Amino acid sequence: MLTPRITSDLDRPLLATTILLALIGIAFVFSATMMPSSTAEHGLYLRQFIWLAIALAAGTLVAAVPYRIYEGKTAWLLYTIGLGLLLLTIFIGHTGLGAQRWLGWGPVKFQPSELAKLATVVVLASMLSQRRVDLGQIGTLAKAVLVAGVPFLLVLKQPDLGTSLCFIMILITMLYWGGLSMLFLFLLLTPMINVALSFYFPAWALFAVVLAFVLYRSRLRLAPLVLVVAVNLAVGIVTPQVWNHLEPYQRQRITTFIDPSADSYGAGYQIIQSKIAIGSGGIVGKGFLHGTQKALEFLPEQHTDFIFSVVGEETGFLGAAFVTVLYMVLILRGVRVAQRARNRFGGLLAIGMTSIFLYHVVVNICMTVGLAPVTGLPLPLLSYGGTSLLTSFLQVGLIQNIAMRWREY
Amino acid sequence: MAYDPEPLVNAKRRERVFTILVVAIFSMVLLRLFSLQVLAGTRYRELSEENRIRVEVLTAPRGEIRDRKGRLLTDNVPSFTVTIDPYDKSYVADPAQLNSTVIRLGGILGIDPEVLIDKVKKEKKQSFLVIRLKRNADLKSVAYVSEHRAELPGVEVEAEPLRRYPYGLFASHLLGYVGEISDKELEDPRYSTTYMRGDLIGRMGIERQYEGYLRGQDGKRFVEVNALGRKAELLGDKHPILPKRGADVTLTIDLDLQRAAEQAFQPGSRGAVVAIDPRTGEVLALASKPNYDPNEFSTGITQARWDELSQGGNYPLFNRAIQAVYPPGSTLKPFVALAGLSVHAISSTTTFREPCFGYFQFGRRKFACWDKGGHGWLALREAIARSCDVYFYQLGLRGGLDRISDFMKRLTMSERTGIDLPQERRGLFPDPAWYDRRYGPGRWSKGLVLNLAIGQGEVSLTPVKLAQLTAMIASNGILMRPHLLRRITRDGVEVPHVVPLQDSLRTDVGLNPGDLATVRSAMVAVVNEAGGTGGQARVDSVVVAGKTGTAQNPHGDDHALFICFAPAAKPEIAVAVLVENAGHGSSAAAPLARKVLQAYFHPAKPESVAVLAGN
Repeated sequence: MLTPRITSDLDRPLLATTILLALIGIAFVFSATMMPSSTAEHGLYLRQFIWLAIALAAGTLVAAVPYRIYEGKTAWLLYTIGLGLLLLTIFIGHTGLGAQRWLGWGPVKFQPSELAKLATVVVLASMLSQRRVDLGQIGTLAKAVLVAGVPFLLVLKQPDLGTSLCFIMILITMLYWGGLSMLFLFLLLTPMINVALSFYFPAWALFAVVLAFVLYRSRLRLAPLVLVVAVNLAVGIVTPQVWNHLEPYQRQRITTFIDPSADSYGAGYQIIQSKIAIGSGGIVGKGFLHGTQKALEFLPEQHTDFIFSVVGEETGFLGAAFVTVLYMVLILRGVRVAQRARNRFGGLLAIGMTSIFLYHVVVNICMTVGLAPVTGLPLPLLSYGGTSLLTSFLQVGLIQNIAMRWREY
Repeated sequence: MAYDPEPLVNAKRRERVFTILVVAIFSMVLLRLFSLQVLAGTRYRELSEENRIRVEVLTAPRGEIRDRKGRLLTDNVPSFTVTIDPYDKSYVADPAQLNSTVIRLGGILGIDPEVLIDKVKKEKKQSFLVIRLKRNADLKSVAYVSEHRAELPGVEVEAEPLRRYPYGLFASHLLGYVGEISDKELEDPRYSTTYMRGDLIGRMGIERQYEGYLRGQDGKRFVEVNALGRKAELLGDKHPILPKRGADVTLTIDLDLQRAAEQAFQPGSRGAVVAIDPRTGEVLALASKPNYDPNEFSTGITQARWDELSQGGNYPLFNRAIQAVYPPGSTLKPFVALAGLSVHAISSTTTFREPCFGYFQFGRRKFACWDKGGHGWLALREAIARSCDVYFYQLGLRGGLDRISDFMKRLTMSERTGIDLPQERRGLFPDPAWYDRRYGPGRWSKGLVLNLAIGQGEVSLTPVKLAQLTAMIASNGILMRPHLLRRITRDGVEVPHVVPLQDSLRTDVGLNPGDLATVRSAMVAVVNEAGGTGGQARVDSVVVAGKTGTAQNPHGDDHALFICFAPAAKPEIAVAVLVENAGHGSSAAAPLARKVLQAYFHPAKPESVAVLAGN
């Protein structure tokens, strides 16, 4: 399966950044869990080492088997399993941090949303690469929206807004890559923008004007035009009505859901502590293992979601910027692989996998530096966590798979 | 798949768009890192090494509760709360010091140190907030803490609104009280996301029922505390979130009536009074005796005091108006009469074969009438006026349990009234199926209906149910759901959709107006005619209709009951009175109803004016 002709096209910068990030991750999991008073387990970094070995093996396997086997029926099978597990989570899942996100057998816990993300990418890639696919057709578009929409809603129900939005990110990225025009992308997003703005009338009015202008210039046919206007009007009118009928505690729950820091003292506090940790790192940092903020245990999730703040504190701007640039390289390599692939399925697969990385990295880092609300998303490759690491390596393995076979149509 | 060069060209263009986007996003992140670490690095270094960032909760005042005329029943006053910050630098460095500080504070604040240590241990785990050690601390301990702050690191005195019930014992069951949220409630998903340990929550009464509205939204701000304990607002962060005051609740209760109802009780007696406007279902007064003082709970109650209140024998925490059921005794007779008329077992002129000799022979058993002297032959009106048991024994037999219990079902006798108060209990009028379940099919005597017909035996009702049913007779067969909420206002603006529409509150039971008129006129006779048992409920210039009741109970002296409405021709108020173990309804309950009616129809002017002027 892997001939020298194929392996010679392995994307070396991608491989290097992946391994490097995973090793940096283990180092900082070690640092974050080593302080004497910590309630966290001290041997976690060793466990992460074992996971790294498993992830490497799995990634290699995924890279070796030609990616075309995932096309068509396999894609739908994966997708069905993913959705099934998500449903299962809702009924029998473990509750962690106020949401049901986990499935487990004994000591092994696993987040089905990780698998669902990959499966959604595979299905969308398979769908959008069919020969006579026309994204100008409402039907095709609706099908794609449905494919991403179902897992989106299931994860939203858990409730996990952060992860669920990843499905929207995947959908938008892949539709764009599949050739959907900016206009259609915009129209697709209008109902969501509408909901968000309907609480503030001036913004909503402005948006309505912009939408009207875009629609006027778009020269859409009548049917889709009416559809867009109708959906937007309905959403704009219904949202405040529904809101007004909610019980106060239900409203409060939604506000907390959208922006935990607005209400939960703990979350807002975490962001401030994370910013202090990162900011106090200065230019060169306090030195590996010499962070002081972490010793105060202000950040309960510092070896998982807040690992980047430990990096920032101990290695300063130089280290944090280095890690950030590594992620940027990783993502840009993914885009390059997608572009290079001659096979449409391969290209879409690569860009889909890359979009997952982009979403997670940006949302997580923005959270630690106080630019985004606390969402509970891990930082891929760096954060402690077996499934997260494994999934990241599967993604990279797939991208490598496509990189090596870029010539194939 | 066929090779198609077109997408490749597009792919190049799309890659360019992506690259620009990705580089732009990451540049933004890098810029943020630069500003945090390089530009503001020294400042954050200082924060991380010397100062402590603290979340200061700005406690939102709860909404006020007022009576129907706008008179204040519950408000808030400023008070001092002593708090400790378990993450103060000195405690992080030396955890043992936290305990010693807490033990010392226990002495100052007069709280068992063990209780405090336990509290700190629990609350420390859950949040990054300071922990409230003592609400409503007295000035002496506040002064002590302030003077010795150098020895008490992380201890602060903060101003917080304190729930106040200006009338103390008065209307306590109706209003409820507030207390710290319990561990059990914190597990409830309804509260777990919006409450923190140490938060106050409404308990019982209106405080509980409308908790979601009354409770404000606490604000917060981040403050920087330096080594000297001086606070400064943390710069460069989101503005503080200001506390939002809770919504104000206006009740249908009339303060004067409520007061009259409560003062009508002899000191030390137990019972309940419920007064309802039969036209609307608005509750005008709802009293339960004995009372407790809700102010005791606002400041945190000790375990010993709690035990005393909850198990002390008189059960003052118990809202007898809605949580206790009693046999209605003869106050059930108007309803049994309605049942008889409705199923045509009797007419208004029917007299039974057996006259009242003071007892009724049923098989081998003698069923006594309360009047040993006997009543002779009576028709319905006289039977109700003089409360003849023998008449109703025979009515029960002729009507039959099936038909009577079906009729009581129509009156929703075994259901809750649905009043807007938590923990309302259900009453009971048993039907044959109920007896079958209880004793086995057919293994019970038909004679049970005799006792039911005079409101004894298994039939039991809450005072509020009794009041609701009385109001139903008064309002021509319209059953209104009793309610206490008049309106909720937030910053003076009414909150829509919280008060149920009148239509959703009313049910037409579908009774014959003639039957109702018969029973009403009999109830007028109870109060106003010679030989009537309710003469003590008469009020000047108003015709009162009523019914007395004396309910035997196996645990002690008879309960005294009285139901009434007035004016009889055009009722504006219906009242149910229950006094536990007080004897006869005519002498122990009717006078209480009279005082409530008196307050309604002939208010004592000077006092009302004074109360209004005082506001």
